[in-house]
Amino acid sequence: MNEPQINLKTTVLDDGLGLISAAGYINNEGGQAVADAASELVGGGCNSLVIDLDGTRIINSIGVSILLEIMEKIMEGDGKLAFCNLTPTIAKTFEIMGLDQYAGIFPDREAAVTSFAIDGTT
Amino acid sequence: MEVVLHLPAVPNVELVAAKAVETLGEALGMDRDGIEAVSVALVEACLNAMEHGGSSFIVRLAKESGKPSRMRVEVEDQGRGFDPDACPPDDSTRVHGCVSKRGWGLTLIRELMDDVQISSKPGKTRVCMWKELENAP
Repeated sequence: MNEPQINLKTTVLDDGLGLISAAGYINNEGGQAVADAASELVGGGCNSLVIDLDGTRIINSIGVSILLEIMEKIMEGDGKLAFCNLTPTIAKTFEIMGLDQYAGIFPDREAAVTSFAIDGTT
Repeated sequence: MEVVLHLPAVPNVELVAAKAVETLGEALGMDRDGIEAVSVALVEACLNAMEHGGSSFIVRLAKESGKPSRMRVEVEDQGRGFDPDACPPDDSTRVHGCVSKRGWGLTLIRELMDDVQISSKPGKTRVCMWKELENAP
């Protein structure tokens, strides 16, 4: 569960909706890698993102701080950010640090993507 | 059963400590959620020790018998020390729009663990925390 390197995969799911799959340790380096992937998707026209953390078992507060910065940039562009496949500990960490107040938290990728379709955000 | 790690302050060494929690937690019958909560709390304590504590620090993991039995996790460093009472719990409402998003370590430790005691003076800081072993034999 403690791989130091993070594995990322990015996909454009639909017009304006990007997906980042992140598996590994979200620390300063892992968080920055996610931020770079988010910037690339936003630069490519995605104003909303789903970040799928399936395969991520451990995080630290520095990594979550970087995720908070991604959230702020997405919100500045009137987009939305959603997370899915969180472990209970990661979900609790997001709650403690307030990330869940501004980003959607969903049990799986399908639910996260569907929320954007219902929302009409993308 | 006790694990003692003398760790250098090098990048990602906190994952060595987290791996030890995983191994000991499984041996003690701790459930996956418990192991992950202890791992994240320990990672934060290790990061604090590396940031404020100097070139190395010590991690001790042990089972404490009792009702319920618990895993005890200690992180000890030889840094300049700090006043834990001067670090009140963070407020999640401060996050959005706030320039500094750092400084959540102690809050996460306190929230993720069942009990936390911190003693600190110049040259020796010890963060001691406990998690119940709900599924322990």
